[in-house]
Amino acid sequence: MPLLQIREALRAAIDEEMGRDDRVFVMGEEVGYYDGAYKVTEGLLKKYGEKRVVDTPIAEAGFAGVGVGAAMAGLRPIIEFMTFNFSAVAFDQILNNAAKLRHLSNGQFTLPIVFRGPNAAAHMLSSTHSQAFESFYCGFPGVKVISVATPYDAKGLLKSAIRDDNPVIFFESEVMYSVKGEVPDEEYLIPIGKADIKRPGDDVTVITWGQGVAVALAAAQLCEADGLQCEVIDLRTLRPLDDEAVLTSVRKTNRAVLVYHGWPYGGTGAEISDRIQRLAFDHLDAPVERVCYEDVNMPYAENLENLVIPSPERAAEAIKRIAYVRV
Amino acid sequence: MAKIVELPRLSDTMEEGVIAKWHVAEGDKVKRGQLIAEIETDKATMEFESFDAGVVLRLLAPEGETMAIGTPIAVLGKPGEDVEAALAAHGSGGATAAPAEAAPEPAAKAAPEPAPEPAAAPTEAAAAPAPSATPAPPASPAEGDRAPGRIAASPLARRLAREHGIELSSITGSGPHGRVIKTDVEAAAAGRAAAPGAAPAAASVPAGVELDASGRPLLVRPDEPVKLSQMRKAIARRMSQANAEIPHFYLTTVVDMDRAVALRDQLKSAIEAKVSFNDLVLMAASRALRVHPEVNAYWDGQTVVRRGNVHLGVAVAVDEGLIVPVVRHADQKGLRELAEQARDLGLRGRDKKLAPQEMSGSTFTVSNLGMFGIDEFSAVINPGEGAILAVGAIADTVVVVDGQVGVGKRMKMTLACDHRVMDGATGAKFLATMRGLLEQPLAMLA
Repeated sequence: MPLLQIREALRAAIDEEMGRDDRVFVMGEEVGYYDGAYKVTEGLLKKYGEKRVVDTPIAEAGFAGVGVGAAMAGLRPIIEFMTFNFSAVAFDQILNNAAKLRHLSNGQFTLPIVFRGPNAAAHMLSSTHSQAFESFYCGFPGVKVISVATPYDAKGLLKSAIRDDNPVIFFESEVMYSVKGEVPDEEYLIPIGKADIKRPGDDVTVITWGQGVAVALAAAQLCEADGLQCEVIDLRTLRPLDDEAVLTSVRKTNRAVLVYHGWPYGGTGAEISDRIQRLAFDHLDAPVERVCYEDVNMPYAENLENLVIPSPERAAEAIKRIAYVRV
Repeated sequence: MAKIVELPRLSDTMEEGVIAKWHVAEGDKVKRGQLIAEIETDKATMEFESFDAGVVLRLLAPEGETMAIGTPIAVLGKPGEDVEAALAAHGSGGATAAPAEAAPEPAAKAAPEPAPEPAAAPTEAAAAPAPSATPAPPASPAEGDRAPGRIAASPLARRLAREHGIELSSITGSGPHGRVIKTDVEAAAAGRAAAPGAAPAAASVPAGVELDASGRPLLVRPDEPVKLSQMRKAIARRMSQANAEIPHFYLTTVVDMDRAVALRDQLKSAIEAKVSFNDLVLMAASRALRVHPEVNAYWDGQTVVRRGNVHLGVAVAVDEGLIVPVVRHADQKGLRELAEQARDLGLRGRDKKLAPQEMSGSTFTVSNLGMFGIDEFSAVINPGEGAILAVGAIADTVVVVDGQVGVGKRMKMTLACDHRVMDGATGAKFLATMRGLLEQPLAMLA
């Protein structure tokens, strides 16, 4: 099976869908002549031309809005945000138009649009460029939210996102674009809303997504020394949540830790934690733990950033704590 | 029979090389003389043209791996020929295949050193503006709401106790704060004593991590071994050899450069010649070496050999290190020609476009760090030569001329000499001649 980087897997997904359906097009800053800020769209302008790979001005509200209109008119836009930090400028288009128009029009319009780009902290980009947006975009109905951590998942889920008739928020990561993994030659789709067990285990359920996946897997490795077998669940889709995958695992292990890039107050981590305590209360032998950002704006200084971003060591500590392992 | 292509020797000092880039793939047809690869040697990146014609049956050497000369790097032949048999006949399995792709790298830079964490769990209580400086003991989110008299037990423990018909109050909790947990109920159901209480892990600062005045850990960065370029390896090898074998001594002199500066200004404005101060130094050195052939000499292991030709090595800093292109027969060339050749060699050297023969055979070397603002320094002799001249910057200096204090342009030069080849006075005489030429530069041009 060929080894692809995540950026290449994403590109393959876009390329295949553009080849399959001429309503699909890409729009965003530097997606065309610059081949994409992170080279996801490399070569697509050459292959499909300026009508289907559209360079925009630095005006997120504008091109997100144009994308919404195009989707209403029957096209299937893929809107690239150079980072999701810039989507804050376009938030009203996503919240009030993309997420609502199908409902407001009583189903007369569908909104087949994908907003994609890197999310959450990378490395020393300071507070305004290190924000985790899943809690914002999972916080209202009308959109689906995906966060990928492997090339296989990236390709299969982006293809499903492009074919979905609803707005999909698709999170990637600057620091993971070059992560490599096997991607089959033959076409495949991964259904939206299905979690994936990245590592099976019986002792502790570790729930994670996006940049958290590698941290959780490293933490699971660390915990092996204490005889703990962690089950690492990569949610892949954050909305709708795969409750069944989470609950089945927690009923088996009786404990859960969430490892993710994001703030602790409210949001996606809190939602999952709530569902576990509510839907698996009598199966819990310990409180649900969360290993995520400290509740501060992301510092620029590297030593302080290291304290804020979840590390395998911090995750392993939490895992051992709720497994009642004396360290 | 298929033919084995070996890593060729592309320069006289080359001992190993790296395939920088393959220009053919397996299955490609190759003509004699066709460019098939770029090979990085200790001196330059060289184009490697095939000596044979045929089809590339196999590429044995991955790009970027260091290999000894003679290592099989490819197999040429007719389609269908037995590669294994050819390799077996050659007596080698060839260079190993490229290693498989790396596993997915961890996201972020997953701190290589465990960073100490503020221990507070992510509860609302953590909404303080910054992580507290002194780690608090780990707090369990469930700890606060315990009323006196109520037995602390996990939901699972309660359910299990109910199912087993065991009174919670009869069970000793081994969890944090005496919480009854699953193992306690199971132990009670089996009639065993509860396991000794497991305490939660305490977060602590790992040993060796230093804290700043506010108690925050200073960043610990790991050392990184650098993958050596062929050039770096060659420099390391030759300079170690020089320092170990050659008994160096050093002589420094100050040169009045007032006239040289004026001459260069005139040349620049009058004939638009691009002449650097180093070109004037090269010219003076080449002439002085003819006057003092005992400096243009080297120790060959048994005896001193005086060199017939004056080939000047000119040290040039490049991204990866240092190269020394050679201006041949410098003593027979005029200033303009010397300047043009030195400039051309330097430019092409920085682009790694020099042929090995353009970087070998020097009899004396000039190294100039004046453009980096260095006043004076001493250099290591290039093995195969008897001396090297280290040239510093030209600086406005307070000087006394005829009893009057004034300002003059001065430059320091340091000659490193091989004591087996010459003595202090020999080097001093050579430097005096050079100084004379630079202080009366028109004499050189006459």
